Amino acid sequence: MAINPVPDHVPPEMVRDFSLFTSPGMPPTPNGDPHAAVACAHDGPPIFYSPYNTQDGRGTWVITRAADQRKVLQDTETFSSHRSIFSSVLGETWPTIPLELDPPAHGAFRSLLSPLLSPKRVTALEPAVRERAITLIDGITASGTSCDVMKDFAFPFTVGIFLRFLGLPDQGLDTFVGWAKDLLHGNDVERPVAARKIVAFIDELANNRRKDPVDDLMTFIVQAQVEGRRLTDDEIRGIGVLVFVAGLDTVAAAIGFDLAYLARNIKDQELLRSEPDRIVLATEELLRAYPPIQLIRVATKDIDFEGAPIRKGDYVSCATMIANRDPEEFESPNTVDLAREHNRHAAFGYGPHRCLGSHLARREIVIGLEEWLARLPTFRIKEGTAPITCGGHVFGIENLILDWS
Amino acid sequence: MRIIVHNAKCQGHARCSAQAPSIFTLDDEGYVLRGDINVAQGDELLASRAVRSCPERALEVDSSSAARFDPAAIQPKAGEA
Ligand code: HEM
Ligand code: SF4
Repeated sequence: MAINPVPDHVPPEMVRDFSLFTSPGMPPTPNGDPHAAVACAHDGPPIFYSPYNTQDGRGTWVITRAADQRKVLQDTETFSSHRSIFSSVLGETWPTIPLELDPPAHGAFRSLLSPLLSPKRVTALEPAVRERAITLIDGITASGTSCDVMKDFAFPFTVGIFLRFLGLPDQGLDTFVGWAKDLLHGNDVERPVAARKIVAFIDELANNRRKDPVDDLMTFIVQAQVEGRRLTDDEIRGIGVLVFVAGLDTVAAAIGFDLAYLARNIKDQELLRSEPDRIVLATEELLRAYPPIQLIRVATKDIDFEGAPIRKGDYVSCATMIANRDPEEFESPNTVDLAREHNRHAAFGYGPHRCLGSHLARREIVIGLEEWLARLPTFRIKEGTAPITCGGHVFGIENLILDWS
Repeated sequence: MRIIVHNAKCQGHARCSAQAPSIFTLDDEGYVLRGDINVAQGDELLASRAVRSCPERALEVDSSSAARFDPAAIQPKAGEA
């Protein structure tokens, strides 16, 4: 592991050898449990400095407590989202939108998009989501007693819904999933190549929709107005790229981790199968236990935050998987309790950037689990196979071979 | 019981309305409507559950009115705020 120089203002005793990228359990690991692995962050001080904690190898402060993460993420004046995570892969600086804009500019774009993903809208999408789940599962059960959940269900289910939302044909599915995988988990050569493909694809899509409008998200964006004007090309690209990346593999990863948990915990599996009314609450607990995302902010000024001398320009990491295992916020945080109440988990972030897709993501997970449990008998991880998990900016699970013979 | 709604903190998680749709109404973007909420007597447990599911802590039971309400019914579990 490359050890970066620690900045002078960081007291040596606040530095910890911890990284969401390189610590044990973070690189691809058969039968790994990366979420449990990072829970060890709570064994030390509530805030520390990790010298190597982003995809491009930068150091960050690590905020472990849920209450402190809430403070950081709600205080957008001190902790900015403008850090060009995507475009910096290309050596550029345009923001993805609304993710990397700060208020007040953030608000206008957020309001533009949020009706498209509101709870009401998602309720209207529900029949199509359920139909897609049923079709896929019926295909799986008709062709045998084993499958790779990721390849045969999680990705085709979630990415299919999402492509329909974007107005894109299903045929692109494998290509898009491949780009997302390279972007999120690829090496220094694969990442920029994938990023460039995604940008070129979004630019071309925007051009096509300008010429031939249809009823889809990209047409809506190229025709939309904020503050009485049309969007610029960079803004259109920033929105298109974000929506594309945000929905591509997050929900699939969540479903993968959830079904892996149920395959290993047969009692819980049977409980949800025999009492499906519990699935809505159980989904919140699974989102708490297995959230995929690390959030990064950049300090806009010097601040002493809960004892940490954070200086302007420092990166601050709010990893949802760490907040969700905070013993001060959750009783027995490392125990999965599918009936947990008052579950204020951080899976979708806190503050004004709270995941716009959260209502859709929740419905997809609930419907996926409902139909999967209703249509399959007891399933386990197939003997001789091991799901490979990984940490990083977005936690993932590569394969999940289930068997119900 | 009365619930104070801190609208500036609401970020549209919609957890409150998921717990208690009859008590918490959302606008078209999915944020809770402006204004404090008077909760009918039989709905108090449900309402307090919703308050405690808000990730942003945007909802607060008005303590001057909570005093009239049997606190044993909403006793937090150990370890929770
Ligand atoms: C289980 C699945 C998902 C999880 C755990 C998740 C998590 C998150 C988190 C933590 C953020 C906040 C990032 C930050 O503050 O820096 C976020 C933002 C966002 N997510 Fe999701 N997401 C999921 C699925 C989706 C889906 C399916 C979509 C699109 C349809 C989506 C669209 C967005 C958008 C547009 C933002 C930016 C919001 C803003 O900056 O105002 N997400 N997501
Ligand atoms: S749960 Fe909290 S943040 Fe979410 S809509 Fe209700 S009040 Fe707003």
